[in-house]
Amino acid sequence: MESVLLSTRGLKKIYGRRDTKFEALKGIDLDIESGESVAIVGKSGSGKSTLMHLLALLDKPTVGSIKLNGKNTSKLKSRRLNRLRNREFGFVFQSFFMNANDTVLNNVILPLKIAGIRRSERRRRAMEALKVVELDDKAKNKANDLSGGQKQRVCIARAIVNNPKVIFADEPTGNLDSATGAKIEDLLFRLNREKGITLIIVTHDEELAAKCGRQIRIADGIIVTDDTTKKSIASGKKAKKVTEVKK
Amino acid sequence: MKALDIIRDANANLWRSKLRSFLTILAIFVGSFTIILNSAINAGVNDFMDKQIENMGGEGYLEMMPTEAYESAMSMLGGNGVQEYTDDKDSTNASAYIKDDQIEKAKKIDGIKVFNVLPNSSADYITSSKTDKRYRLNLNLVVEGISFDMSNGVSPNTDKNAGYEIAVNEDLAKALGYENVADIVGQTVKIAVPSTLKCYTAVKRSECQTILEVKVSGTQAPGILSMGGSRANLTLWNRINAINYEGMPKETNRSYQATADVDPERINEIKAKLEEIGLKAMSVEDEVGMFQSFFDAILIVFNIFGGIALIAASIGIINTLFMSVQERTREIGLDKALGMSDAKVFLSFTAEAVMLGFWGSVFGIIVSMIVGNAANIIATETFLKDFPTFKLTIFEPLTMISIALVIMFIAFLAGTLPARRASKKNPIDALRYE
Repeated sequence: MESVLLSTRGLKKIYGRRDTKFEALKGIDLDIESGESVAIVGKSGSGKSTLMHLLALLDKPTVGSIKLNGKNTSKLKSRRLNRLRNREFGFVFQSFFMNANDTVLNNVILPLKIAGIRRSERRRRAMEALKVVELDDKAKNKANDLSGGQKQRVCIARAIVNNPKVIFADEPTGNLDSATGAKIEDLLFRLNREKGITLIIVTHDEELAAKCGRQIRIADGIIVTDDTTKKSIASGKKAKKVTEVKK
Repeated sequence: MKALDIIRDANANLWRSKLRSFLTILAIFVGSFTIILNSAINAGVNDFMDKQIENMGGEGYLEMMPTEAYESAMSMLGGNGVQEYTDDKDSTNASAYIKDDQIEKAKKIDGIKVFNVLPNSSADYITSSKTDKRYRLNLNLVVEGISFDMSNGVSPNTDKNAGYEIAVNEDLAKALGYENVADIVGQTVKIAVPSTLKCYTAVKRSECQTILEVKVSGTQAPGILSMGGSRANLTLWNRINAINYEGMPKETNRSYQATADVDPERINEIKAKLEEIGLKAMSVEDEVGMFQSFFDAILIVFNIFGGIALIAASIGIINTLFMSVQERTREIGLDKALGMSDAKVFLSFTAEAVMLGFWGSVFGIIVSMIVGNAANIIATETFLKDFPTFKLTIFEPLTMISIALVIMFIAFLAGTLPARRASKKNPIDALRYE
């Protein structure tokens, strides 16, 4: 068995109390291996974003456990969680979330600045990350002056600047036209393929989901199907395996 | 995240909404300007007072008179001046003299270094070779070991064997015909000293006067406390006394004044002990105190204004930062998602408040120094012209730095409220915020 990066058991998330009680996740068992590219697919309100937030350790489950590299995260203090997110994870969001008035370089530097890395070192690493997304010539530009596709590439540079193990992408192409969207997808899959970064993409775009090695379909807070397609490049699996989950 | 990054970012964030930050800084500036200028004026007045105290005889210097004489003088000044007469010895005027046993007791008080009983000495007038005019002379004794604030020359020589020396104030020097005040230093002036006994029988006053030739050792700048008096050294003082009391019984030459040089730290304790043996002692501070407490009252009022301005400015800081937190909700969410701790988020917003306080203080210091120094120049040319040693404003770096630090601390306290709200934000909610 390959190394399991993220593993959840009986994951439940309940919002509100009594009358307003809403069960967003109703028990999720999931193992994500290192180097996989996983799409979490579902309609809005299905619980897919909630699942991603839990996996990304941005939120805590009401019930259940999440293990990262075999370690239970529920017992970790917020300081450790902050450090884990800062070092192990990269984030790409649908609406970019950049400091629009700051330079491209400073936007990419942000995770390193939070980590407390030296100025010269973080500059060097940010330029390296910008080179990967082919925007090193725009380092001094204001983030606001870039096109949508360029902005998302800056966000990807920011996501990879700390050499993360996982990139969480929430509708990474949702705000882009199909041509630029395709470029972003290529970039993300290239990182998955070449650097072995685990990719967890939340989307309702079937085409994007199909490009991932594994599709997890969620409806009403439970996993409906969990498909591993032949395209799972990093893990090298060819056979298509379909697991039906009973309702 | 490093402290330097937090400070740098806080400063950069202020620039993102320039006008808003500027207005908040302006509000802090009003408070800091008022308080810093006040403290400078306070320092100026205190410095002047200290110089005056030195002029009068230093901080360990006490002037004494019998309590009865003091109270009688005070009742003449303040009350109706009517005192009941009794046959009791204390009610006679003789009790206004300092008695021998009081002197003996006073000399034994711990902390008194030098105890001088002043013989009474008075002169009629002073004149010089440069003028026909004669001027009334108000003489004081130079106290040994006290430095004087001389504008020209030196303080009169206090050696036992010194010649007759006097220090005059600048106005008198001019009146004596020395337009250039410095020229009088080293010159000889004439002093007319009356012999009391002879003057009872003399037809003309000049018949009972002895003319003394006295060397001018230096001049004094006019001050509010020197009252235009001139200062004689001890040899001159004793000589004048001898002439004054020539041919009279020794008892009539009893002193009603004494001075002491005491340990400044214990001055209040010593004053109380002197009071016990019937001597009313006044330090120079006591004499200056009246003027100073009046001035302090004015400054306290202005400082209250400054304080109120700072309170208003603090509310401004809270408001500004709440807006900033609101605007940057998503940014806070991103920072937290990328691993920034609650404490660092809190620090970054309070740092912004402290920066507001910092710039408000810096502008307060700069502008108050410009205004204060300009006021100083104008003052020395106009209403303080007669007091060349009086600097209206003195800016002490340490005072200004501590005021700035206090203002920054107040700004920090104001910043904690919005900073707390920012640090408590949930990253997911913050990122969803539109």
